[in-house]
Amino acid sequence: MIRAHQLTKRFGDRTAVDGVDFVVEPGRVTGFLGPNGAGKSTTMRMILGLDAPTSGTVSVNGHRYAASPAPLREIGALLDAHAIHPGRSARDHLRWMAASNGIPTTRVGEVLDLVGLESVAGQRAGRFSLGMGQRLGIAAAMLGDPPVVVLDEPVNGLDPEGIRWVRTFARQLADEGRTVFISSHLMSEMALMADHLLVIGRGTILADCSMAEFMSDHAASYVRVKAPALGDAANLLRGRGLDVSRVDDEIRVTGLDAAAIGDTLFKHGLAVHELTLVRSSLEDAFMTLTADSVEYHAVVEGAA
Amino acid sequence: MSASVMESGTVVERTDVARPSFAAVLRAEWLKLRSVRSTWWTLVTTFVLGAGLTTLICWGNADWLASSEADESPGSFITWGMMIAQITAVVLGALVVTTEYGTGMIRTTFAAVPSRGRVLAAKSVVVVALLGVVGTVTAFVGYAGGNFFLDREGIGLSLSGDVLRSMYGSGLYLAGIGLFTVAVGFLMRHTAGTISSVLALMLILGNMVNLIPGAFGEWVTKLMPGNAGSGISTPVSFNPNLLDPWVGFAVFCAETAVLLAAAYVVVKRRDA
Repeated sequence: MIRAHQLTKRFGDRTAVDGVDFVVEPGRVTGFLGPNGAGKSTTMRMILGLDAPTSGTVSVNGHRYAASPAPLREIGALLDAHAIHPGRSARDHLRWMAASNGIPTTRVGEVLDLVGLESVAGQRAGRFSLGMGQRLGIAAAMLGDPPVVVLDEPVNGLDPEGIRWVRTFARQLADEGRTVFISSHLMSEMALMADHLLVIGRGTILADCSMAEFMSDHAASYVRVKAPALGDAANLLRGRGLDVSRVDDEIRVTGLDAAAIGDTLFKHGLAVHELTLVRSSLEDAFMTLTADSVEYHAVVEGAA
Repeated sequence: MSASVMESGTVVERTDVARPSFAAVLRAEWLKLRSVRSTWWTLVTTFVLGAGLTTLICWGNADWLASSEADESPGSFITWGMMIAQITAVVLGALVVTTEYGTGMIRTTFAAVPSRGRVLAAKSVVVVALLGVVGTVTAFVGYAGGNFFLDREGIGLSLSGDVLRSMYGSGLYLAGIGLFTVAVGFLMRHTAGTISSVLALMLILGNMVNLIPGAFGEWVTKLMPGNAGSGISTPVSFNPNLLDPWVGFAVFCAETAVLLAAAYVVVKRRDA
């Protein structure tokens, strides 16, 4: 279990993480979602005691990580898969980590097997592909068989097979009762992996809910209606207490399904040219939610 | 270690394992050091430069040293190569620290061992031990090689007194330089910056302060880390105006200790 209380981090006059409160529960995959620069990595570094919070606290299993009696057995972390000496072999990398926490060397072989790197364990890590690097990082995270696993952007740069592997692996860890905390800036990825969502934007928590809740709350749907007498149709539907908005040559109606809207318009002799249920994707929902909190906007020419 | 137990009897903290000991951290740092090729290349270079150049310089100068024109002592030549080998000690001390900052691996290290003082201490110990041993062995081999040629001219040095002291003194000085650089590495975090600033301080600035006139200049020269520390590594220094070997080494150790303390404070406070 990870618990943050009023956790704040300022770098100069920039506030990276702004008084966030959250609890990451065991037994499920918690997705930590936010655009680049939202404060995900900073939060994760504070969890691991690498960055000191400006104010507030964060605890792992009830205490500060740095006070842990056996850090690697408490929490396994993948922060940056490139953060490995390129001249050291995968096996040696895991061996020094194991040694530092008094973990038996036999465990090194086990985690190499676990991530499927056994055959290349003697190779220098500098030759590893991005995917192999991520696997090595995950092997390192699992060395201490920790109850809490923190993975920062674990699917970045992975091929589809690798992404599927991480997804299955995360699920398995959660099913074993572990606390699994995974960051990503891709909603589509989180939708497939996470049970619970923590959405962060500009250092504040925008949503903290189950995946299902997030979908019903944020992935809104409406019925698109196109009709020759658009104004009349809009007035009629508004008169029925429905939420109607006019966008260009269509109206968007929420509060009634497409069939009922069609029936209503037909009864009043209004011709209908289009009647479509439009469901915004989770990606859209995420974009909408974080629209104000994106650090760097791309300006697309010709776009409104 | 006591387990904190909730009323229901569930153990909420994992207390079945001991806190990683300093010995464990030391073992980890040793594994790191020996598992990269750069360590071995650096040590081989130390040996080749230290022992090889001493032998070479004695071979080239034995004739002159034995003649009546000689205005230097053979004792100044018997550890000559160590002056050059100190460069590799700087490189090793830097690499042990700065490659971790360069790759970002320092975060893995501090996540595995949150007590950063232990990391600094363990790195210090492995660097000192390795350079101490390699430096001493190198000096002895250099002595054997160089003294062979001095002996042929009848000016051989016996392995006792100041000559013997300069053998393990070479090991101590190399270890000290390595440690000094470890501290600078933690402060600067960049490989090139660390290596070039330590070398500039030891080799260039240490000689340039000679130009400061008067007693002040003389003292600054004596107290510069390279000048103070290197006296112990040679039986007879080329520069007669240096501190006594052990006094100088004590000064060098004190300077190193100050840098290490600064590094400790900074590393503890700084975000990794």
